[in-house]
Formats: sequence, C-alpha cells, structure tokens
Amino acid sequence: MAGIGLDAEKDSKVLSFETKCREGEAQTLSLVVQGKKVTYRGPADMRSLLESRGENTLYANVRINGEVLNRRDFENIPIAEGDEIDILYFMGGGIVQPD
Amino acid sequence: MFNLTEEEIQRYARHIILPEVGGAGQEKLKQARVLVVGAGGLGSPVLLYLTAAGGGKIGLIEDDVVDITNLQRQVLHFTPDLGRHKAESAEETMKKINPLVEIDVYKERLTKDNIFPLLEKYDIVVDGVDNFPTRYLLNDACVMKRKRRVEGGILRFMGLIMTIDGGSSACYRCVFEEPPPPGTVPSCAEAGILGAVAGVVGTLQATEVLKLITGVGKPLYNRMLQFDAEELSFHEVKAQRNPKCPVCGENPTIT
Ligand SMILES: [Zn+2]
Repeated sequence: MAGIGLDAEKDSKVLSFETKCREGEAQTLSLVVQGKKVTYRGPADMRSLLESRGENTLYANVRINGEVLNRRDFENIPIAEGDEIDILYFMGGGIVQPD
Repeated sequence: MFNLTEEEIQRYARHIILPEVGGAGQEKLKQARVLVVGAGGLGSPVLLYLTAAGGGKIGLIEDDVVDITNLQRQVLHFTPDLGRHKAESAEETMKKINPLVEIDVYKERLTKDNIFPLLEKYDIVVDGVDNFPTRYLLNDACVMKRKRRVEGGILRFMGLIMTIDGGSSACYRCVFEEPPPPGTVPSCAEAGILGAVAGVVGTLQATEVLKLITGVGKPLYNRMLQFDAEELSFHEVKAQRNPKCPVCGENPTIT
C-alpha cells in the first residue's frame, strides 16, 4: 500500500503513513495492539490506526484499555499514549436474514 | 462399577485412561445432552468429535441441503450426498462413526418460536450458525435459559471462539452489542473461508464441550480467542459482563 512504511524493530513496528497525515496532525504513540507493543505514527484516532494496519474497519469492533466500545464511528474514537487496543472481528456468517 | 458396557469401555479406552476423564467422565459423556445448531463448516467437526467421543444424546438442527460449494470444508458430507438434506447426511455419517450415540434430528430453521422448547431438552449448546440474526437469537435465548454455550465464528483466514455460561459469564452481546449493520460483514459465501479454518475452530468448540461435560480444565469463559491462520497465531481478549448489555446487563431490554 502506498504511503505505509513498515520498519520492523525488535518487538515493535513503526507504522507511518505520510500520505494521510498532514504536517502537525501526526503523533507518535506507543500502544499495545492485539497484545503486541507497537510504535504508531499518525493521527490519534482509531480509524487511522486501523487503516494504517490494513485492517478492514467494516468488520471490526474495538476494545480500549479493557472497555469494549460498541460503536463503529472509529474516526471519532481518540487514541492515546499507552492505550491497549484489541481489535474484535465480526465473524459468523453474513447478513442473510432468516425467512 | 461404572455404567458402561464392555464395548463402551473398549471404544472409549483412550478417554478412560486419562485420569482427568476416567470411567466417571465417560459416563458423564454418555449422559450428556448437547444441541448443535448447524451441520455446516463448524457443525461438521463438532458433530464428528462429539459423536466419536460418545456424547450421549446429540441434537442437530439444520434446514439446508448439501451443495457442492459446501464440500470444501463441511466434512460430515460426502460427494454422493449432494442435494440431500444436511441433517440426513449428517446423521448417516454420525451413525457410521458411532452407533451408540443417540441422535435427535430437527430438519428446520431455528426460530424464536421453536428455540425455547428445543433448549429445554439439552444442557449445552454449540453455535455453528451461518448468519447473524440466528446467532443473536441463540445468544439471547441461551442467556435467558442460563444454558452453557460454545460460540464460534469463521471468516476468510480467521476464527473466533468463546464459551458462555448464560447469565454468569460475558455473553456475545457483551462484546458485540448489536449485529453488524447489513452490508458491512460479508458471509463466507461472499468473502471466502479457508476450509481447514472451520476445522480448527469447530474442533476447539468440540474440545470445549468435552471439557464442560467432563469438568476437565478451565472453560473459555470471559475470554474470546481469535485465531489468525495467516500468522498462525491466537490472540486472547478478556471479556467482561457489560452492565449495559441488552440481554445480560443490569436493565435488560431483551426479555
Ligand atoms: Zn451480555
């Protein structure tokens, strides 16, 4: 994906995606995502984080610091230094309605 | 000493030799009453292993017929079964594996009208459904009737599993409060599924059922396990009862 650079360090990944970030918007945050320590560089909102990881935000629900957020407006969910984030995926069939 | 026949003692010898299971555990399996919803990708391994394990009475509810696109992962059904009712095809395979198991077959779709009488007949429920409305119906009914349930889901290269003690541990709605909006989450038919991923998740579900019945180990309560086949990794997410849960919270709106 253009604009997304992955620099693997020991246990952490630096995720940056300059194309999305205007100067001044990007922040560098240490996060724990899916149980792994990562250094994230980009806008401090959940949608930007998910997109930087190539996650399909349509499938996901998220849990921050132990609290499940049952909402999908990821762009309005702020993330901050030290946050522990779990990405929960909807799995289990489609949208086919029973008769 | 145990209420097992000579044939059963031989057939289940590898269980009985496990000190944690033993003759007593095998007898519990013989008395068990498990309802498996769906005889598809997840239901196949669940039904195969429960049947082989001597899981007393197994209820199976399914309303679909075997389609050629099912055979890549739904290992209960064979090529000559194309066009047959999945419930019939599943029953035939199960009887070949273990004729000692009692099988109740329901050739119908699970609905709000038939779910409660059905749940009364079983102690443990396994979710192998292929759509969200039925998944949420099953969750809500099992919480209300305080049934233990092993939840499973698969999509593409991923799977999830969660064991729920209805009314006591976190339920599916505690984690996923409402079904995803229509059009956002594809089905396996739309997005694909690596066949063996269904085997991994269904086999984990069967393992949980055998543990619940025999009392071995620690069930996957208040934990959701996500499986990623591409990375070949598991990620465990802690789940808590959500006080705002619409079915098991403090002021349930689904009753
Ligand atoms: Zn709940």
